[in-house]
Amino acid sequence: MTPKRELQIAYSLIIVFLFVGFISYAAFPAKTPDEPIRLMYKTVAGKVLFDHKIHLSDSGYGLACQDCHHHPEEPEELEEALVACGECHKVLEEGKTFPDSCLDCHEAEDLEDSEVMKKSDAFHSQCESCHQEVDAGPEEERCSWCHVM
Amino acid sequence: MLNQKKLIVSHAPFWHDGSSITVRSYHTMLAALPAALFGIFTYGMPALGVVSLSISFAIIWELLINKVTQRTVSIGDGNAALIGLLFAMLLPATSPWWMVATGTFVAVVIGKHIYGGIGGNPFNPVLIGVAILMVAWKDYFDFNEALVNYDLRFAMVYPLAAAKHLGTSGIEAFSTAGLLLGQHSGGIGATFGLGLILGGIYLIIRGFIRWEISVSFLAGVFVTALLFHMSDPSLYAGPVFHLLTGYTLIGAFFLATEDSSSPVNFIPMLIYGAGAGVMTVLIRNIGTYVDGVVFAILLMNLINPICDKIRPKALGKVV
Repeated sequence: MTPKRELQIAYSLIIVFLFVGFISYAAFPAKTPDEPIRLMYKTVAGKVLFDHKIHLSDSGYGLACQDCHHHPEEPEELEEALVACGECHKVLEEGKTFPDSCLDCHEAEDLEDSEVMKKSDAFHSQCESCHQEVDAGPEEERCSWCHVM
Repeated sequence: MLNQKKLIVSHAPFWHDGSSITVRSYHTMLAALPAALFGIFTYGMPALGVVSLSISFAIIWELLINKVTQRTVSIGDGNAALIGLLFAMLLPATSPWWMVATGTFVAVVIGKHIYGGIGGNPFNPVLIGVAILMVAWKDYFDFNEALVNYDLRFAMVYPLAAAKHLGTSGIEAFSTAGLLLGQHSGGIGATFGLGLILGGIYLIIRGFIRWEISVSFLAGVFVTALLFHMSDPSLYAGPVFHLLTGYTLIGAFFLATEDSSSPVNFIPMLIYGAGAGVMTVLIRNIGTYVDGVVFAILLMNLINPICDKIRPKALGKVV
């Protein structure tokens, strides 16, 4: 192979792969599925990998959506208004008493006295109570049952 | 009669056998292709995007640095394309484009051209790129997090993370055959064990890489993992698991064997390979990082010049 031919190959590689790469990134971006498969919760105590699909599927633990997504309470409303836990249970900006997502359905004046449990408390109570019910841990003081990653 | 020429001897070399850096680079890419294609089929278009962009960016960076430093354009030797391919094979399929661009820049410019180009680099350029990205954006290199939206036909938890955090109870879902056939999550081109082994054997047979480095690296991983496993089987995964997960195989055949950052003599090659293997398992089992291959090989790159001091005595030397 002559040096000229080698250069031609290299230039061709640039053009072809740049084109394919650009098309792949632009036309086929990594999609987030409507129903999560796994979720990675990042916390100061170590990341928690939550397998949403196993908890939901019949071959897994077969939980109903409402078992965790408790608000709104009516099942028919739930179908339309299923929201991620972190939409409501999150660290609020200073001066706010409820998250903005509440305003999607409620009026601000209806929410004046409401209090939303903070994210870490909500997750700890939700996960722990259910896990202890089915005898699946965590033991007392064992953060590493979940905070492992 | 006395002046008759019976034998004419010219200066060496007598004949060029046709081998060149270009042939070597493209054959190494060919050897890596089964594993890379497997990754693309497994992870789909995002993986194709990462691999394509990485190869093209690596060549572009090399072309630019050639122009800036006013040196001969060296992209024809295929080494930049090889760096791009190997770099992409270590990344998760969901790596953003800017990370690919940054990583290839670090690999080609900082890993290779700052030291004077091919043959002058003390470290493997691909590993320099990956190591800097791993330290800078570690969440993107957390395969559990990066591949969180993938639902493939096998257990999707990253095997090395499961072994590190949960012990052997966390890796029961992985069989040796499954690991060989790429049924585990990881870098785009780092999971298909069988493809990497076949590629490595091809490179060894063709003489492009030295078997001493690959074999001693794998032996280092095997023996160290075996000792850990024997000390506490519930805490430390077995040696075969360590051989087939993470970057072990791609490290043994494609990364540790890079020319200018690895030794040339027999004993030094064994020390270098085995040292990297031992360090890999030490980092995995008692270190902070989930996979130790990148830092283990870089560390052995560092002692490579000292290793090469062990060499045969010069012919005729008395002392």
